[in-house]
Amino acid sequence: MHSISRRDEMSLAEPAALPVATSAAPRLHVLKRVLGRFKASLPAYLLLLPSLIFLALFTYGAMGRVLVDALYQRASPKAPVRFVGFENISAVLADPAFTGAVVNNLIYTVGTAVPSIALALLFALALSRTNVVTSALRAALFLPVLIPMVAASALFLFIFLPNVGLLDYYIGRLLPVLPNWLGDPDIALYAIMIITIWKNAGYYMLFFLAGLQAVPEDVMEAAHLDGAGPYRRLRHIILPELKPTFLFVTVIATLNAVTQVDHVFVMTQGGPSNATNLVLFYIYQQAVEHYDIGKASAATLLTLAALMTLTALSFRTLANREGGP
Amino acid sequence: MLFSRRIVLGLAMAGSMAGALAFPALAGEGPTEVDLFFPVPVDGKLARDMGTLIKEFNETHPDVKATAVYTGSYDDTLIKTRAAIKAGKPPAAVIMSANFLLDMQIENELTNLDALIKADGSTKEQFLGQFFPALHGNAVINRSVYGVPFHNSTPLLYINADKAKEAGLDPSKPPQTWAELTDWAKKLTKREGDKVTQWGIAIPCAYDYCGWMMETLTMSNGGRYYNEEFGGEVYYDTPSMLGALSWWNDLIYKHKVHTPGATPGPAVSTSFISGNAAMMMLSTGSLTYVRDNAKFAYKVAFIPRNVRNAVPIGGASLIMPAGLEADKQKAAWTLIKWMTSPEKSGWWSRATGYFAPNMAAYKTPEMVEFLGKNPDAKTAVEQLDIAKPWFATYKTVPVRKNLEDEVMLVLNGKKQPKEALAAAQKAADETLKPYNAETSLKLP
Repeated sequence: MHSISRRDEMSLAEPAALPVATSAAPRLHVLKRVLGRFKASLPAYLLLLPSLIFLALFTYGAMGRVLVDALYQRASPKAPVRFVGFENISAVLADPAFTGAVVNNLIYTVGTAVPSIALALLFALALSRTNVVTSALRAALFLPVLIPMVAASALFLFIFLPNVGLLDYYIGRLLPVLPNWLGDPDIALYAIMIITIWKNAGYYMLFFLAGLQAVPEDVMEAAHLDGAGPYRRLRHIILPELKPTFLFVTVIATLNAVTQVDHVFVMTQGGPSNATNLVLFYIYQQAVEHYDIGKASAATLLTLAALMTLTALSFRTLANREGGP
Repeated sequence: MLFSRRIVLGLAMAGSMAGALAFPALAGEGPTEVDLFFPVPVDGKLARDMGTLIKEFNETHPDVKATAVYTGSYDDTLIKTRAAIKAGKPPAAVIMSANFLLDMQIENELTNLDALIKADGSTKEQFLGQFFPALHGNAVINRSVYGVPFHNSTPLLYINADKAKEAGLDPSKPPQTWAELTDWAKKLTKREGDKVTQWGIAIPCAYDYCGWMMETLTMSNGGRYYNEEFGGEVYYDTPSMLGALSWWNDLIYKHKVHTPGATPGPAVSTSFISGNAAMMMLSTGSLTYVRDNAKFAYKVAFIPRNVRNAVPIGGASLIMPAGLEADKQKAAWTLIKWMTSPEKSGWWSRATGYFAPNMAAYKTPEMVEFLGKNPDAKTAVEQLDIAKPWFATYKTVPVRKNLEDEVMLVLNGKKQPKEALAAAQKAADETLKPYNAETSLKLP
C-alpha cells in the first residue's frame, strides 16, 4: 500500500522521469512510455470517474439511446418497430406543428433574451455600488429567481385569470374589452414571455454585477479626468469590458429559452391552438400524447444538434476573445 | 496516501449502492407486495384519503401488502404506467382515466379481466351489473372487461341562485333547453356601456376539458362525437357538432353572454365563485369545491338539451397492466374488488365528490344520510340515467387535440365553426390513419 502511493506521488511530480530500462527493445520502450503516461494521469482519471459514470449513465447513454430510437418507427400500432433511417427526421421537419413550435421558440428566445438582458444590465448599472439600499434592492430583484418556475406559473395563472385576475382587476379599469391573457392565441405567447423575463432578469443581473467588478478602476478614473461623461464611459469603457459577460449571458438565456418550459406545462399546455407550443413541449407531446418515440427522438436530436452547435460556436468566440488582446 | 483510501471507500460505497439498485427485493416468503398507481386530478386532499383507504386494506388483508404510489395528473399517470411497463416492472393496479383504456388495449398494455371474473364463479354480466350502465362502455372493449369503474363524473349546469332571483328568474325551475339557457344567460349578463361586468354563462375550454365539453354539447344536440364500437372514427364534421359549436360561438359573438376566448376550468370555477359568471358548465368533480367556497345560494341542474338529454361520463377506472406475475395479479384483483365494493366506493365518493360507480353504494345507510344532507350530490347521480361513454379512440389525446385546437380558434373569433370542424376532421382522420390501415381498411 505504502509503496504504491509513493510511486503515485512520484509520478505525479515528475511524469517524464520514470526509470526506463536501457536494454529493452524499442517497442517495449514505447509501451512503457505510454503506460507511464497513463499511470501519471491515473489520479486525474480516477477523480473524473464518478462524474463520468453518472454522465455516461444519465446523459451520454440517454443521448445514444435517442440516436438509436430516432432511426426506428412502427408502421402500425401492433407492428414491431423497424429501421427507417432518416424518415422520422423528415417527418418531424414536415410537421407544421414542429415548424410552428420552432417559430414560436425563436420569437420566444429573442423576446425573452433581449428584454431580460437589457433589464439585467440596467439593474446592474444602477446597483453596482454596494450599500444597504442597493443590497436590499438587489435581493428584491433576485427574489423571482428563488421561486420555482412551477410555483411562479401557478401564481401567474391567477394573475392572468380573465375578468377576475389581478391584472384584469387593474387594467380592466382602463380597457373597454378585457384581454383573455392565456386564452387568446395572439397574446398567450407574450404572456408566457413576461413571466420568463420577470423570472430571469434578476439572475442575469448577478453576472453583470460580477462583470462590472472587473471594469478597471484606473481606466474609469482616467476617463473621468479626461472629461468623459457617464454615457461615453458606458459606451467606450463599460460595455466593451462587459462583452464576455454579454456573450455568456446570451448563451445562458438562449439555452433557458429552449430547455425551460415548466410554465408552458402548467399554464397553457402549448395552447390555445398551439400558440404557445415550444420545441421541448412538442417533443413531450410526441412522446407522451402521440406515443411516437421515433418522432420524439428525431425532434430531440434536431434540438440537441442546434443547441450544441450554438454552444460550441459561442464558447469558441468567447475563448478567442478572452485569449486575445 | 493521496487517493487510495478515499477511492477504495468511494468504490465500496458505489458498489453497494449499485448492488442495492440491482437486487431490491431478495425477500423470502411474506405478503405479496403490490403497487397501486393513483392520480390526483382535483386537489391534494385525495392523497391523504387514498392513504387511509390503503391502510385499511392492508390491515384487513394480511396476505397482501399494497402500496399507494402518487403519480400526478391523469396524463402523468399514463406516462408513468407506460414507463414502468417498458422497464418490465408494471404496477399491479392503476387508477386510469377511463378514456385511456381503449388506447392502452390497442397497444397491448392491459390485462383482460375476464378470466379473473370467471375464476370467481361470476359472469361478466353479473360483474358489470354492479355498476351504473353508463359506465360499461369505457370498461368493456371487444366484449371483454378491461377496467373496473372507480370514481366517475358528469358535466353539470351550476347556477348562482341569488343572481337568478335578482334577474327575476326562478332557480327552482332551471333552464332545460338551449333556448331557455340562452334566455337565462342574456338576462344574467350585466353591462355598463360596452363593458360586461357580469357574464351570463361560462363554459371551460382548455386541453382535455374542451373536448369533454364539445362531447357534452354535441350529445345534447343529438350527436355522437366518436364511434363507440370502433376506435378508428370520430364525427367532427357533422351537423350535430356544427350546431353545438355554432351555439357556443353565438353565445360569445351574437348574444355576447360568454367571455371570448378559451377559458380553462379553474378560471371558470373562480369566475363563478367570485360572481363574475352567473352560470357555468363544469364537472360534478367540482361540486365539493363549489359547496365549500360559494358565498351565495347555488343550484345544480342537468345540462340543457337542444335535441335530447345526454351527457358523457368522466373519471377513472382501475386497471391491471399486462405482463403481471400470477401472484401479483391475484393480489391486485383482491385489492380492486375491495376498492370498488359498495362500502368503499361510497366512502371514496363522500371524501372526494365523485359519484360512486357501484349502484349498491347508494343503498348504504351512510350514503342515504349524506344525500339527505347534500341533495345537490343527487343531481349528478340522477343524470347518470342519460349518460353515455366518454370518447375513446386510437390515440385519444391527439385526436381530441385535433378538435380542441380548432374549437379554440372559433372561440377566439379567428375561424367560423364550419371550416374549423372540417379542418379538425381532416386532422383527426390523419391521426387515425395508421389504425384504420391495420383494421377497417385492411382488406383481404
